[in-house]
Amino acid sequence: MVRQSDDIIIGTVARMLVPFIQLFALYVIMHGHYSPGGGFQGGVILGASLVLLLITHGLPETKKLISEKGVAILSSLGVLIYAGIGLLCLILLGNFLDYSQLSKILQVMPAEARSLGILGIETGVGLTVMAVMFSIFLDISTGGVLPEDEEE
Amino acid sequence: MEVTLLIQATDDSFRILEDAREQAEGLLTTAVKITSESRKIEEQKIQTILKGTQETKSGFQNFIATFFILIVFWAMLSGKFDVFHLSLGVICSVLIAYLTHDLLFANARVGDMRVIVQRFIVYIPWLLYQIILSNFHVAYLALSPKMPIDPKIMRFDTKLESDISWVTLANSITLTPGTITMDIREGEFFIHALSKKVADDLDTGEMEDRVAHVFMEADHIYVQDVLDVARIYGALRKQV
Amino acid sequence: MNQFFIGAGMGISVLVLLVLYRVVFGPGVYNRIAAISAIGTKTLIILLIMGFVFHRVDMFVDISMVYALLNFIGCVAVAKYLEMES
Repeated sequence: MVRQSDDIIIGTVARMLVPFIQLFALYVIMHGHYSPGGGFQGGVILGASLVLLLITHGLPETKKLISEKGVAILSSLGVLIYAGIGLLCLILLGNFLDYSQLSKILQVMPAEARSLGILGIETGVGLTVMAVMFSIFLDISTGGVLPEDEEE
Repeated sequence: MEVTLLIQATDDSFRILEDAREQAEGLLTTAVKITSESRKIEEQKIQTILKGTQETKSGFQNFIATFFILIVFWAMLSGKFDVFHLSLGVICSVLIAYLTHDLLFANARVGDMRVIVQRFIVYIPWLLYQIILSNFHVAYLALSPKMPIDPKIMRFDTKLESDISWVTLANSITLTPGTITMDIREGEFFIHALSKKVADDLDTGEMEDRVAHVFMEADHIYVQDVLDVARIYGALRKQV
Repeated sequence: MNQFFIGAGMGISVLVLLVLYRVVFGPGVYNRIAAISAIGTKTLIILLIMGFVFHRVDMFVDISMVYALLNFIGCVAVAKYLEMES
């Protein structure tokens, strides 16, 4: 399914839309406290933009944006950010994920520290969701065989 | 007797001269076509070489342009303009512009961007007017009891050269009710038209001229072609 | 003003029901795909009208943009799959 497309119209339109879709996804993640959105929804839209690039342009063009190894690293990075912020609050003598303790190192009011803490874990959740969605789609479409393994 | 022979000889010689003239005309048109095609191939070769060297230089310009467009888009989406949200917007735009800087403007000739944007903004109201006119016509077709449609597929060659102008023309044709672009193969458009009036409106080629005017293409005359043809014509005239 | 928007919303819902006929009875899969894409655009407009009725337009604009995106990507994905099948 991931082959080079010889279709000019869909290819050009999809290539021009991808930056706007990604910016919209980041907007949805960052404004989770004010309008509908949050981490998971923004991650799904980011993953959808990568899937769009994959089905219209094929695998080599998408690898310029993000490689399979990068996808694997990103999925663990998201979980690291989430657990890292929780552990940081634990180290600063609070409960796990008690963001008001972050005000000790960030020098802001506890309410703002809560807001920033939530923003941080939403980012981690979004990264993981994007990486896992893209990785699942890659696995299903290429049948689990990476092109490097095919050459051997 | 000699008079009839003379008349017959003149007749034959006239016919031979007519045949020779038609052959010369055929040779002339073939020569013109071949020289213009070979010149087009040469220009395309030179353009691909130039494009390769230009890509590395224009990467940074693409990055800056994409960054500005994304910042404007973020400001439109998020109605809050305090420092926190704006700085978040700047960080996100820088990240995305760095990753996808060669996606948005892949084949652009950077110096003409301002003119192209101005002409595009002028082109859109004309397109809207055409869409409204075609809407009335298709509504009349759909609502009349015997539905006088005459669907057919037409194909035409286009004089536009780059990807973006092809896509703009195809999208304009599809947005106008009554015509749908099916495919573009090697510079040839396949279009499905609903009735004869709509197909005739498309055949005049006004939309193609306007899109060529927006993207500043198909407006150069190959002077060398005319000179070559004149030389061949002069050689033919000297021999005859 | 509310009455006007509610009336317009109901009119567009009737149009959605008309297109639903093609989704159910369309002979073949291409008719169904085109009809679902058309229903997607009508759903977008209905969401925006609901935003006007509830006086919270900015929230519903976000939702309808996401729905438009998903409609487009879904249509492209199904079309690519059908092209590969034949």
